[in-house]
Amino acid sequence: MDLLLIAILSPLALSLAMVLGLPKAVARNLAYVGFAIPAVIGIWLWCQYGAATKESGYAFLTSYDTGLSGLGINLTLGLNGIAMPLFAMAGIVGLAAGLYALQSAAERLNQYVLLLLVMQGGLMGVFASVDVFFFYFFHELALIPTFIMVGIWGGRDRNYAAMKMTIYLTVGAMLSLIGLIAIYYTSGAQTFDMIALREAVADQGLSTVAQKNIFGLLMVGFGVLVSLWPLHTWAPLGYGAAPSSVAMLHAGVLKKFGLYGLIQVAMPLLPQGAQHWALILATLAVVGNVLVVGIITIAQRDLKQLVGYSSVMHMGYAFLGIACISLVGVGGVVFMMVAHGFSAALLFLLATSIHHRTQTFDLDEMGGLVKHAPVLSAFFVAATLASIGLPGFANFWGEITIFVAAWKVFPVLTVIAVGGVVISAIYGLRAAARVFFGPQTEAFDKVLEEKPAADLSWSEKLPALILLVSLLALGFWPKLMSDSINESVTEIYTAAEAVEPVDVARN
Amino acid sequence: MQPSHLALLVLLSPLGSAAIIALLFRRQGGIASVISVASAAVVAVGAVILAYGGHRFNASIDWFSFGEFTLSFGFKFDDLAALMLAIVGVVGFCVHLFSLGYMNDDENKARYFGGLSVFMFSMIGIVLADNLFMIFVFWELVGFSSYLLINHYCLKQSAADASKKAFIVNRVGDFGFLIGILICYWNYGTVDLNELPAVVAGGAMMSVLAPILLFCGAIGKSAQMPLHVWLPDAMEGPTPVSALIHAATMVAAGIYMLCRIEVLMTADALNIILWIGTITAVYAALCAVVQSDIKKVLAYSTLSQLGYMVAAFGLGSLMVEHDGHEVLLAAGVGAAMFHLTTHAFFKALLFLGSGSVIHGCHHEQNIFKMGGLARKMPLTFVTFTIGVLAIAGLPFLSGFYSKDAILHLAGEKNGLIFGLLVFTAVLTSFYMIRMWRITFLGEPRSDAASHAHESGIAMTAPLVVLAILSIIGGYTTHEGAGLIYGSAFAEIWSQIPHPEGIGVFIKSLAILAVGAGLAFVLYKPSAQDGLATKAPGVFTALTALKESFDAAYNYYVAKIQDRFAMLLNFLEQVLLAGLIIRGLAGVVGLFGLGARALHVGSLHAYVYWFLLGAVLLWGFAGGLF
Repeated sequence: MDLLLIAILSPLALSLAMVLGLPKAVARNLAYVGFAIPAVIGIWLWCQYGAATKESGYAFLTSYDTGLSGLGINLTLGLNGIAMPLFAMAGIVGLAAGLYALQSAAERLNQYVLLLLVMQGGLMGVFASVDVFFFYFFHELALIPTFIMVGIWGGRDRNYAAMKMTIYLTVGAMLSLIGLIAIYYTSGAQTFDMIALREAVADQGLSTVAQKNIFGLLMVGFGVLVSLWPLHTWAPLGYGAAPSSVAMLHAGVLKKFGLYGLIQVAMPLLPQGAQHWALILATLAVVGNVLVVGIITIAQRDLKQLVGYSSVMHMGYAFLGIACISLVGVGGVVFMMVAHGFSAALLFLLATSIHHRTQTFDLDEMGGLVKHAPVLSAFFVAATLASIGLPGFANFWGEITIFVAAWKVFPVLTVIAVGGVVISAIYGLRAAARVFFGPQTEAFDKVLEEKPAADLSWSEKLPALILLVSLLALGFWPKLMSDSINESVTEIYTAAEAVEPVDVARN
Repeated sequence: MQPSHLALLVLLSPLGSAAIIALLFRRQGGIASVISVASAAVVAVGAVILAYGGHRFNASIDWFSFGEFTLSFGFKFDDLAALMLAIVGVVGFCVHLFSLGYMNDDENKARYFGGLSVFMFSMIGIVLADNLFMIFVFWELVGFSSYLLINHYCLKQSAADASKKAFIVNRVGDFGFLIGILICYWNYGTVDLNELPAVVAGGAMMSVLAPILLFCGAIGKSAQMPLHVWLPDAMEGPTPVSALIHAATMVAAGIYMLCRIEVLMTADALNIILWIGTITAVYAALCAVVQSDIKKVLAYSTLSQLGYMVAAFGLGSLMVEHDGHEVLLAAGVGAAMFHLTTHAFFKALLFLGSGSVIHGCHHEQNIFKMGGLARKMPLTFVTFTIGVLAIAGLPFLSGFYSKDAILHLAGEKNGLIFGLLVFTAVLTSFYMIRMWRITFLGEPRSDAASHAHESGIAMTAPLVVLAILSIIGGYTTHEGAGLIYGSAFAEIWSQIPHPEGIGVFIKSLAILAVGAGLAFVLYKPSAQDGLATKAPGVFTALTALKESFDAAYNYYVAKIQDRFAMLLNFLEQVLLAGLIIRGLAGVVGLFGLGARALHVGSLHAYVYWFLLGAVLLWGFAGGLF
């Protein structure tokens, strides 16, 4: 029994059954199972990973012929230390998003859940795929329902937001597809299998020119998908409009596709290309994402846009870590990707829960909510502090590791990046204070007259708790994750560096 | 039980308390307070056993590692840590006990006691940490607990603002601190406090930047100029919190951290530290003179005393020639830690005493609306008076010894600093006597004061304990009977400079007499501020001095930072989102009609394109075409 395949197929099979006319009541109850299976499998495999036998660095490796082997494409599933925590994170965040969606009063809930299940199946596939083609395929499979859900169930400006997201993300995906196909051809391996590609490149590296061009293409393509400045403007708008579960899954999980592609595919296969673009990437990430977007975040008055911008800002740290091209840097990025998945999802979830009580996302029309919803405010403050890198939460380890790695390579940029720690404290705590603390605004008084605000119900609390516990567990005991990441990163990157000696002295 | 396990228990029991309260007893304030006080008792007992039982050890495990970067979780328990742990344990327990009375009627008692436990956990973490990264972890966590507790009355706008300000200002300091740690890591190859001395002794190139940047952390946490602005505002928190966190322990963590990294100091760095400490000491003492809120007087006094400790550290070591060898006579570390210790006792006493006063006067904090409390609250009055005399440096009380140690060191090293510190000492006795007289003497000047009553035993017992410590806390040597310290902290106490001769007493008495005398001349126990009526110019100037920093920061935030943010936001909307996306849409249009249909058509079209592509691909691979 291949658990990876089950994790991918069970949400997809359930959604197919729903299309084929599964009765509504049955479907909704089964949906809980559909969201739970990937999460349970993810956690189970996390526990099994350390003891599992590994082939070429991958555990649970299996391959299926899908009729595309003529093109060097097979559905090869497996997890290495980088994929494993992301796979589990996708399962856990998916469960939280699913639970949150199922308790929401969305119109046409069945169709909404159906699309979410498709997205969930795609997400699990992205991180379980060892084959670059399927890695891309599953990303698209998750992306399309995203557009549809934003367009139909979105909030303000949903049509514009959906269109903008579609254009940006399609262009980004197309560019990265071209890059991946270019690797396929230039490597001479004629295969999309990551392991085979790495071996082929290890025998004979790609030419420097090809490396530079392909990496540039991938950097821009993946950069759009991960909202690298200045290609990020779709993100705050899109997340502002997206329904909460979609924002949770996209910002938390699907967005990590681009970073994951850079780490698993682009950098090991194109070390010289990465070297060539590193300074540019680091500069865009730090000056653009961290500094400029960070300051713009301070000016936001719409809570959901603020969360969206802050998510863009934190991607700057991830890009900075990647640009270090070192074990420490990449390790920090993987840690941060997982942590950010939990914290971004949690913030989007709570932002929506706040909206249910205030009927607005406008920070100027809230205040004093802690009196009515103390548990909600505790969750929100915790999520905010997690996202701004307070120790005790997972995000801290990612940030600090990236800073350590970056100081050696880009000291000046690192100083600016560390300054981002102050910027994020400013907007994070301001938002928390304006929503929850101080006296109630008059506008909020009126809202409360019509609809009194209650604290978090258990159906809202459970998904939030799942995410918060994950953040705390990794925050207190980072070894749960860091050892396996370290093992795989070391293996992949020392192999990559052995091909062409890398000159680290820059900047 | 191994000592390292006991230390772990001491560290984790408050964390366990916080977790249990958060999960189970969020609404049962009574149970929560018992759990929290019990954990504080475990800490106090464990700390005393560890400190006095002769246990000194190092222990560490890997917390986390990537490549060559390893971050360890470890304890370095030497005399310095033992002293600090004992202070945190004893003062912490007193404050927990006091809180039982003070917070008895509070609606959110559970949250308060949970916050106190989080604080104890984080503070003990700083004390025990054996490397700079671990100090940083707990450094941030005490900042969080401080945020939580300042924000206790969170429906008040002022409390919400103050907590936010405290956290952000501390983060500004931590920005420098973290960069300092990074430099230290790459420059010396380690951040382990046990390894650093060897690396430095091994002739590593000394970094001048590292100690200065690390000191930034202390500037934030110990509220030195120019990041001192958060501490007076932090008085929005409940008074026991002010006593524990914002007077006795957390704000002193900056000085403790400096003592931890003493080996990294260079002469230039020490000089900068010395001046920042001295300026803070003088400035804050001047500000304290014009405060009318009892807690604000104490807050500025704390700032000033912290400046004293920082200056003491900055004075560095004192060497003498002895038979051709350089012999270490005394060091700033000894003087700073000595004053930190006595200050923890008498400032906690003063804050808790003010809490007792505020509690008795139904939350009146303005000293001009008090008066006549000496008769209404005799026990509070007596203990408070002991605290005032201790901080003012009356001979044979604790503050006398520690302050004179610093003045002696300053006198040997730097005349100008000595003069400024003596001036600060005069101001200290001046503003303390002023507050004491206006609060306790004369007739009650408000209903609240006339109906004041003495507090219960839970509140007065800690006052008595701290008053005793404030009296005997200065006897550190065996000649002074070594009353409470024994020989447990010999490594630190041996570094205290000891002035000799009768001159010390004369100097101290002169300082006290000038300060107290001026206060008696200027202030009567009345509803008016004596200085404002007798010397309005001086009063206005001092008030303006106090407000200048807040005004400057507010101007920066409102007029520069926020406007700049709005400008960037505007540019982003117009330029990036507006022009470039339209441009991009135009380019996409060039792909032709099919592409345009794809991008501006119905979203559902996407699904079909995707499916069509998949079918074509499979068909192609399967050899259909």
